[in-house]
Amino acid sequence: MSIMEYNGGSVIAMVGKECVAIASDLRLGNQALGISSNFQKIFPVTDRIYLGLPGLATDVTTLQELFRFRVNMYTIKEEREIQPETFAHLVSSTLYERRFGPYFIEPVIAGLSQTPSGGFKPFIAATDLIGCLNFAKDFVVAGTASSKLFGVAEGLWEPDLEPEDLFETISQTLMNAVDRDAYSGWGCVVHVITKDKIITRTLKGRMD
Amino acid sequence: MPAMLSTQPHGLPHPHMQTEQGPQQRQFNPYTENGGTILAIAGKDFSVIAGDTRQSEGYSIQTRYAPKVFRLTDRAVLAVNGFAADGNMFVKKVRQRLEWYRHAHAKDMPLRAIARLIQTMLYARRFFPYYVYNILGGIEEDGSGAVYSFDPVGSYEREACRAAGAAQSLVQPFLDNQIYFKNQTPAPGTSHPTHLPLPTVLKLVIDSFTGATERHIEVGDGLEIYVVLAKGASTQALEGIRGIQETTVTNDGERVFIIQRELKKD
Amino acid sequence: MDHFPTNWGRPRNDAFDAYGTYPIAQHPRNAVDVFADGVQRTQQPIVTGTSVLAIKYKDGIMMAADNLASYGSLARFKDVQRLHPVGDYTVIGAGGDMSDFQYIQQMLEELVTEEFASQDGHTLGPVEIHEYMSHVMYARRSKINPLWNSLVIGGFKNGKSFLSYVDLLGTTYTASTIATGYGSMIAQPLLRKAVEGNETTLTEEEALKIIESSMRVLFYRDARSINKFQVATITEKGATISESRHLETSWSFAEGIRGYGSQTQ
Repeated sequence: MSIMEYNGGSVIAMVGKECVAIASDLRLGNQALGISSNFQKIFPVTDRIYLGLPGLATDVTTLQELFRFRVNMYTIKEEREIQPETFAHLVSSTLYERRFGPYFIEPVIAGLSQTPSGGFKPFIAATDLIGCLNFAKDFVVAGTASSKLFGVAEGLWEPDLEPEDLFETISQTLMNAVDRDAYSGWGCVVHVITKDKIITRTLKGRMD
Repeated sequence: MPAMLSTQPHGLPHPHMQTEQGPQQRQFNPYTENGGTILAIAGKDFSVIAGDTRQSEGYSIQTRYAPKVFRLTDRAVLAVNGFAADGNMFVKKVRQRLEWYRHAHAKDMPLRAIARLIQTMLYARRFFPYYVYNILGGIEEDGSGAVYSFDPVGSYEREACRAAGAAQSLVQPFLDNQIYFKNQTPAPGTSHPTHLPLPTVLKLVIDSFTGATERHIEVGDGLEIYVVLAKGASTQALEGIRGIQETTVTNDGERVFIIQRELKKD
Repeated sequence: MDHFPTNWGRPRNDAFDAYGTYPIAQHPRNAVDVFADGVQRTQQPIVTGTSVLAIKYKDGIMMAADNLASYGSLARFKDVQRLHPVGDYTVIGAGGDMSDFQYIQQMLEELVTEEFASQDGHTLGPVEIHEYMSHVMYARRSKINPLWNSLVIGGFKNGKSFLSYVDLLGTTYTASTIATGYGSMIAQPLLRKAVEGNETTLTEEEALKIIESSMRVLFYRDARSINKFQVATITEKGATISESRHLETSWSFAEGIRGYGSQTQ
């Protein structure tokens, strides 16, 4: 039994045109047994950063609180909002602190970072459970359905998708991937982050 | 004795107990995995069977061209993936049985009969299996396109599409979405097509393999796509395709074509 | 009915039942395979040869293997020929167990003799030898009693060159460059870089240069190799296997290496 598959769950993030999207399934399981169909794995960090935490459920809660604490400390000390790039490194170093007794989480970060000219640039990143960063230009995946997510995303994703098209792409990718994964599914949640609003939608999925 | 210490963490062994300290025997493993991926999609009056041509063991590419897809008859094509030595031997034995059938009955074996033959041959080796995933594609006696997929010990079913091999987990959910229209709701008053046209299917096959090549190290080098057309099916979709070759043998009406494509070699 | 639960086939092992008080060893063991000790099935290679290299070039096939047969880490036999001609059109090169290879040589010798004796106007070419060897190797692996070798089969017949590989599992393939064992990791990239796409233009001199430099790299890096090797060419003119050649190697650079072991400065 792998600890990474103990509770199940998957997260994906994608880049679009002046927007990013992050989505996850809603299953919480105890190995093959489904426990909850409303287990949130994605959390807002700032108005323009969302963090997905697939992996061991107990660590999801722990890390969510830990990152809330660390981001608050950053905001107080720096007197400004944390940027996605900085937050990604915060995630990385937090995980690497536990290099030899890791949290069993593979975080996915999605956000819009402020450019010097005042605009916004899409940003996504993911790390492994000990904090090895992966900055991708297209999409990042994590969780028990990661190989399936890679396959579908590679087939469906294209550059410069508008928010509504990005929503459709990430939703289709996630839904079809988790339908082939016994440990993920039971409904999905999708967040599309644009410069002036966040679109959050809950999707009905197969319940088998 | 260090070896004893590791197996005896609780002090001295019981005087009557047998300790496992015979000569260390390394067991010969008669299997290996040779990577690669195969895929087949059935249409209304055609069937498409494809596979990449890379053969690998571990991190080494053994060759960039080792076919995994084989024409059996003018209406049946078999794709074999898993342990290459078993695969080649299995194809050889299936072909031998088909030849015997031809000599006995003066015709080619029908597709559904080949499917059952394959299941019997695989199950015959239930306790020393051919470590191979088979996908059989072709034309049924009623003229419909068909795909049969098998597990190594012979469980099989007829389907509209199937991926197998190293990148099965990457390709199959993509096919669920694009062939079966899973998670897609048709616009009000319309419905999804039950069969896709050949050009669409060919595009999906190529996209599936380029995607798998991008994200899976054991997939790449070359792509071989077999197209089997039913009696009287239009060849229009195949005209002007780069690197297409006809390999039909009989005049029964069904026709077989091969399309060869390059895939990334890294 | 046997009323002793310990005889019902439950595995007993002090690794996971250290405090078992029942005197297990004194009870008769019913389900023993009486042949288990009598038949020697699995094996391991004893006296071994290392890599074989082979490439396609303009006129045919060039193949190379060194002359060492090792006994573990001992360089036991230093004048062993690992390239073997079969019939008039084929050379077979072997890595792995040398006694198994000698058995294969005998087997092929018998085959060629038999074919010759039949005088049916057919002769065995590399394609036939490859097919034969792949069946022998696959049949032996299927009996869980493999011939512990990686074989490279190169040949030239009727204007066509042929290069293939067969191993102890019965795995086969053809390619324009083949390297077995350690060579598949170290020499294969060098061979591919030099040969892929140039199979029809490479001259014999160029081919020899590629083979020689690859054998040199292998000698530097493979501890089970020796700087004495033979080269076979199989062309329209038939198969020739060279006398043993010695590689010029230079170890003076080793003086300058710093930073390993105790020698840190």
